[in-house]
This record gives sequence, structure tokens and C-alpha cells, in this order.
Amino acid sequence: MTDHNSDEQHGFHRHGDNAFVAEFSESEREVLINLVEQIIELLGERTDNHVDDPLATMVGITTHDSPPEDEVLLRLLPNAYADQVDAAEFRRYTESTLRGKKYSNSISMRVTLKSSVDGIIELDHDGANDWLGAINDVRLALGVRLKVEQTSHEELELLAPDDPMRGVYAVYSWLGWLQESLIVALMDEAI
Amino acid sequence: MVKVDEKIEEAIKEIFSGDKPWVTIVWDDPVNLMTYVTYVLMELFGYSREKAHELMMKVHTEGKAVVSTGSREEMEHDVARLHEYGLWATLQRGDQAI
Repeated sequence: MTDHNSDEQHGFHRHGDNAFVAEFSESEREVLINLVEQIIELLGERTDNHVDDPLATMVGITTHDSPPEDEVLLRLLPNAYADQVDAAEFRRYTESTLRGKKYSNSISMRVTLKSSVDGIIELDHDGANDWLGAINDVRLALGVRLKVEQTSHEELELLAPDDPMRGVYAVYSWLGWLQESLIVALMDEAI
Repeated sequence: MVKVDEKIEEAIKEIFSGDKPWVTIVWDDPVNLMTYVTYVLMELFGYSREKAHELMMKVHTEGKAVVSTGSREEMEHDVARLHEYGLWATLQRGDQAI
């Protein structure tokens, strides 16, 4: 886990009992839409293969019982058991629901961003939870690509200016800060 | 009256709670924010901020923590919800080495 220190930027803050508000510049809004759309696309790549089993479709059973080969998808849709047989069985009955939930978080975030006026976003508690989940999925995805498992923050801070991962790390850090501001606003409510 | 100490009480409880020996474990990962893990534990399990913070710190310092205990079905539900939030969670029998 990481600890994220807030800096002078504003991010989300609480308005009244159940509203969480932030204001984004046009370029920030575009970055967020672009990122969340990539998650939507990635999740869409892992579609269910139950072509001729309407019952399986109805109850949400997928034909997937092996974990995704893509590293990012595997982090978003992880195994629930260390034991491979149990993990496969669990995945068969639950992966489709998990994917659906992640998909709807990202869609929810995309809709609020697309429909915002002057870059102002206002979320209720449920909307805030959708955003937290969606931002987290983007951070998990970027984290896999940045290899944060194997690389220290110090090393990432010292990436060369022409290294494309430097920009990715900047976005990753900004998302952490943004997510933190939303959590702080939500926790204020919980007191 | 027979006097029973706490340990024996626990053991007796276990005998009668037959289908309750499963645990949900949250594992440390370098991406999830500490505040986020705390928030998710409060939100999903209704834990107080203190309890959620304590569990989060255990995950952070020891690499893992048992965050809930119950039947296998209940733990599968908890793991699925934790996965929705992007926490790295697994379930297993409570008597298995973690």
C-alpha cells in the first residue's frame, strides 16, 4: 500500500450531507475520460463465450474458468483461492458479475465526466463509490504497466524525462492524489 | 457451577459452529492507498474507523490480515465484494496455514 500526501491542489471536497464536488480543467477531464474508456475497452475484450446456453447467460455463469492471460486483466479479475481448482470453479460462477460491476463503475464515471458542465463534477455517496472503484481500476492497470510491484517510488521519480513511463507515472500519482481527496471527503461524512 | 476458562469456551464454540471455519484474507499490494483500504473495510463490513485502520495497518506491516470469518459461502461473498473494489483478497479454511 502507499500513503499519499495531499498537496495544495483541491480535488474533491464535501458539500453538505451527501455531495462530493470537484472541478477539472478540460485537459484533466479528457485524460480521465480517456483512461476510463480504456478500462471499459479492456473489460469488453473478455467477453463470455456461452453462445448456445441461454440459462448460463441468464444466471451469469461464464465459460471462463481459467484466469486472464493479460496481466492487467488478471489484476482486475484476480483469483479468489490459492488452490487452482477452487479458483477456477469460483471464477466460473462469479467472474461475469465482477466484470459487470467494474464495467458499470467505469461507465458511471464516464457518464458524469461527459455530462459535466464547466468541468464541475458532483457525486452522491453511491456515485462517489463508483468513482473510487473506477479510479482504482485505472491505478491498478497503470500500476501493472509501471511494474510498481518491483520498482520503488524513488526509482519511478527518477525516470528520464524522455521515458514514456515518466508521464504514465505522473498520471498514476495524480490519480492517487485525486482518489485520496475523495476518500477524505467521504470519511469526513462517516464521523 | 463448573468454571470454564476462555480457551475452553472458544473450543466449545468451534465444535458447535461446524460450517464457520473459513476466513477472508486481504493481501498487501503497492497500488492501493492506505486510506482506500481503510475506507473499503468500513464500507463493506461496517467496521469502525479504528478497527478498519488497525486491520489496514496489519495488512501493510505484516503483508496480510484476516478481515472476516464465517461460512465458506459468506467468505466467497466477502471476497467478491473486495474484488469489486480492487483489493487483493482470497479465502481459505481458517485452520489452513496462511
